[in-house]
Amino acid sequence: MQTHYIWQYIPLVLQILVALAMAGGMVAASFFIGKHKRTKVKLGAYECGMDPVGDARGRFSVKFYMVAMLFILFDVEAVFIMPWAVIYRQLHTITGQRLFGFWEMVVYLGFVAVGLFYVWKKGILDWTNTSSRGDL
Amino acid sequence: MNAFPWLSLLTALPVVGAGVVLVAGARSDRAARFLSVGFAVGALCIALLLWHGFDVNVGGMQLVEQHAWVPALHIQYHLGIDGLGLSMLLLSAIVTLISLGASWKIEDRVPLYFALILLVEACLFGAFTALNFIHWFTFWELCLIPAFFLIKIWGGPRRTPAATQFLVYTMAGSVAMLLSFLAMYLAANTFEFEELATIAQSGRLLPSLAASSSWMHLTPEHLGLVIFAGVFLGFAVKVPVIPFHTWLPDTYAEAPTGTTILLTGAMSKMGLYGFLRILVPIFAPQMQSVLTPLLWMAVATVVLGSLSAMAQTDLKRIFAYSSINHLGYCLLGIFAAVRYAGSDAQLLTQRAAALSGTMLQMFNHGITAATIFWFVAILETRSGGARELSDFGGLRRNAPVLAGMMGIALFSSLGLPGLNGFISEFLIFKGAFPLATWATALCTIGLLITAVFILNVIQRVFSGPLQERHSNFLDLSGKEQMLLAPAIALMFLLGLDPQILLSHLNATVLQLTNTIKF
Amino acid sequence: MSTNLLALLPELVLTITGVLVMVLEPVIPAGKSRKPLGWLAILGSLLSGLAAFYQLQIVNAQGTLTAFYSTIQIDPFSIFFHLLIAAVVLVTLLGSLDYFESPITHAGEYFALVLFGAVGMMFMTSSVELLMVFIGLEISSISTYILAGFRKGRATASESSIKYFLLGSFATAFFLYGVALIYGATGSTSIGPIAAGLAITRTPTMAILAVAMVLIGLGFKVSAAPFHVWTPDVYQGAPAPVVGLMSTAPKAAAFAVLLRFLFNGTPMLHGHWILLIEILAVASMCLGNLGALKQHDVKRLLAYSSIAHAGYLLVAFTGTHQNAVAGACFYTATYAAMNVGAFLVLSQLSGFSERIRSIEDFTGLALKRPGMSALLGFFLLSLIGIPFTGGFFGKFYVFSGALQNGHVWLGIVGLANSGVACFYYLRLLAAIYSRPTSDSVAYIPVRKVTAPAAVALAATALATLGLGILPNKLVHLVERATPTTTAAVAVQPTQQ
Repeated sequence: MQTHYIWQYIPLVLQILVALAMAGGMVAASFFIGKHKRTKVKLGAYECGMDPVGDARGRFSVKFYMVAMLFILFDVEAVFIMPWAVIYRQLHTITGQRLFGFWEMVVYLGFVAVGLFYVWKKGILDWTNTSSRGDL
Repeated sequence: MNAFPWLSLLTALPVVGAGVVLVAGARSDRAARFLSVGFAVGALCIALLLWHGFDVNVGGMQLVEQHAWVPALHIQYHLGIDGLGLSMLLLSAIVTLISLGASWKIEDRVPLYFALILLVEACLFGAFTALNFIHWFTFWELCLIPAFFLIKIWGGPRRTPAATQFLVYTMAGSVAMLLSFLAMYLAANTFEFEELATIAQSGRLLPSLAASSSWMHLTPEHLGLVIFAGVFLGFAVKVPVIPFHTWLPDTYAEAPTGTTILLTGAMSKMGLYGFLRILVPIFAPQMQSVLTPLLWMAVATVVLGSLSAMAQTDLKRIFAYSSINHLGYCLLGIFAAVRYAGSDAQLLTQRAAALSGTMLQMFNHGITAATIFWFVAILETRSGGARELSDFGGLRRNAPVLAGMMGIALFSSLGLPGLNGFISEFLIFKGAFPLATWATALCTIGLLITAVFILNVIQRVFSGPLQERHSNFLDLSGKEQMLLAPAIALMFLLGLDPQILLSHLNATVLQLTNTIKF
Repeated sequence: MSTNLLALLPELVLTITGVLVMVLEPVIPAGKSRKPLGWLAILGSLLSGLAAFYQLQIVNAQGTLTAFYSTIQIDPFSIFFHLLIAAVVLVTLLGSLDYFESPITHAGEYFALVLFGAVGMMFMTSSVELLMVFIGLEISSISTYILAGFRKGRATASESSIKYFLLGSFATAFFLYGVALIYGATGSTSIGPIAAGLAITRTPTMAILAVAMVLIGLGFKVSAAPFHVWTPDVYQGAPAPVVGLMSTAPKAAAFAVLLRFLFNGTPMLHGHWILLIEILAVASMCLGNLGALKQHDVKRLLAYSSIAHAGYLLVAFTGTHQNAVAGACFYTATYAAMNVGAFLVLSQLSGFSERIRSIEDFTGLALKRPGMSALLGFFLLSLIGIPFTGGFFGKFYVFSGALQNGHVWLGIVGLANSGVACFYYLRLLAAIYSRPTSDSVAYIPVRKVTAPAAVALAATALATLGLGILPNKLVHLVERATPTTTAAVAVQPTQQ
């Protein structure tokens, strides 16, 4: 019997349900089991540790931006591994060489590592050191 | 084919000279002056040697040097001279010497000044010997650069606008010319002047022009006229032909007098040389079809040039306009020579006369105008920079020799028989009269006005009461007399025995006359 | 060596040296001179030039190379641009070795960015697939965005960088949109299949729109009017050696892409894009030259001049395929020589702080720096197009190509423009050779020209002079560049 293609997505639906149940269960469990001390800070809106209300032109450290930028960079670089992984098994038939795809990714990761090395040495990851090399 | 490269040598000598003057003259201005004169004399010697070795019976090119330069674009290094080229080489060499003499008193950045003069000379030699358009155009354009700097650095108070005006005007003309030659190159696949002339005379140029660059549905005849107009513009600005002359008075007036001598004596001849070397052999049919406006331009150049000269009070401006006027006679000669006035054999002689007169006039005007400006330079230095007619008067009393010698030069310019100016103007008028009667008749008005303003100059400068501040005006020193004497002697020589020059021009004139077909 | 690696050899060499420079930069302690890194970068650009030369030998022996599933094509055309870009980068690096007045900590990044930019430009010229071109375009653009703002802390530098970045990204979006549309119209983003697809497409309007979009995107990169407004501001704020680089090398790469795309990819639409090219050319020449007339800042003046020169270059596109490629290649080479030279002189004169900027500041320069003045004068004369300089033959070549194909109006407009242009170049030239005013020469420092900078200056001057006197070699090279491209593109991409 030819099944309708929609049935292929049953595992996905199940996954979503399980995920929802897990997350909802944890929140619910902590709500019911945990102790509650309501302080002003705790009840305030959560904005990554920043005061959510204040002068819009207030200054804050440029390091936040640096971290955000680095995050995006490495995030995007990591995303490139996805498509590679998906077709890794077929790569040797496409390229005609057995380990070509493997070495290709090694080179790629090498570049990412060089980037990390550069960022590290520039002192951008060094949050506390005021005399960091990158004179931002 | 390739003889000993005398012409390349002649062109290279002033370039080397400029380098030597810059390097060796850096320490002493005196050395720079003498070295540059040395190189200019060397160039004159080579030019005289060429004159001596020239075969007067050959109308075509002599001493030809031909090498491939950019074969992919049909550009050749192609040199050669005929009588016209030879006389222009000699003229350039002489005028450069006069210019150096008149610039002796320059004090600011001396080595650079003299090096630039030598560079102009090299470009003149290059332009008067080149027979391939690109080769020729290179020198034609390059000539502007040292001239620009000469005006810009050492000129009068309004030098910057004058220098820019000079360069921009001439560039605009050259650009039009370049475009026309590009079109001809695409049609005929050659940049050679002689080949282009052969193709044009055989009537193949127009059809192939129409085939290669059909533009706005013009007929081949009109297309030919457009192409002609481009080339004409380039030369007309350089000569200059009225109404393309507006750059000239400012430039001549603001340039240091030594440079003005080069500009009027030699560089203005580049334009006329172009008329004879390029326009007449290649574009005779086009010239014939617009001859009436061209003749009017010649008349305007002669008459308006002299009228404007009469209206001026600044000596340099007077002679700037006078220069326009004198070159107008050459234009008359050239335009009359291409005019159809019947197929009489007699007219062939008249054409030849007009053309020989033109070539002779080019040489004579170069010598005379250069000498007159030299005298202006002397007057200027002695009077502390004064150039107005009203600044002078009665100088004959203090400086009789100066008055006498300058008077000779002025009378030569006026066209007094016995001096060089007369012969050439007479030949032009004699030849042009049966060919283009009305234009020639109108041009005689110019002769009259020239006489008036030149006599006026003589009277205002040398006669009348002597002004207080000129009371100790010095006459020419012995050294100055000696330097000026050859130029004056040349005026007499060519006035009494023009055959010296004409013998070298005859064959060339005949060949040029034969290219004019109707 | 595999074909793939061989095809990318110059880019690989540049990438490796670039990464090395970048990694070594933070390792060298602060305050120490970054000059060794500069020398390393110079070595890299030299090696990449040699690699391109090696490719030329191979291509001569074996014919056109294709790699990476026919997205990369190495033929005399791309090798010509590789060599040109390597040369420009080499000269720029030599000229900027001593450009930094004090050992600034970013000097290392400067050298690395120049190399990375070159990688992108080279990649653009050898790609025959528009998405690959896009990647190259981005690599080169991002490097130049950063380089433009390298004189940190100055308002003009920030303006330069931000303006270039924002407008540049906007323009690249147009390019990408064009690529998307052409994919929609023809079902491919490769040059060869695009040409094949256009022959049978049922949506030519879409393809025409796509060509227009690509023209906008690349027109911005080459600063052709009306997409030129960024140029004066960006050039004014960017460091002088960087301007020399970014006014020549990325433009050369963009012109290479345009040549390939228009003549090999969309010859079917010739009748449509030729009109657009004509409009761009006339607008660039006229607006560039007229805009330059009233400039006082020398860098802005040269920026407008570079807009005008982009216009002259576009005139070359109106010739036949071979004429266009030969003319455009020749012109890019001469323009690179003279413009890099002019900006090198500027950078040597005014230094990192750029104290002398306006034409008035140059008054009387000739008295204090006669050699530099003569060089700058020579480059200006070449930009005008005086014979005996490369500029003359460049213009000659371009305009004869246009005339040959019947674009007489374009020739007239172009040559009239070069007449107008001589006016503003002369203004600068006249100022240099004027008698100094009391305060003008005071600003002109007597900095000694160091040996590497002298070599760079000599190289550009000799190249400009050489192209003016003996253009034969290059004429041969560029005339050979075309037929191979056509043949190769027409045959090869269908195989994969």
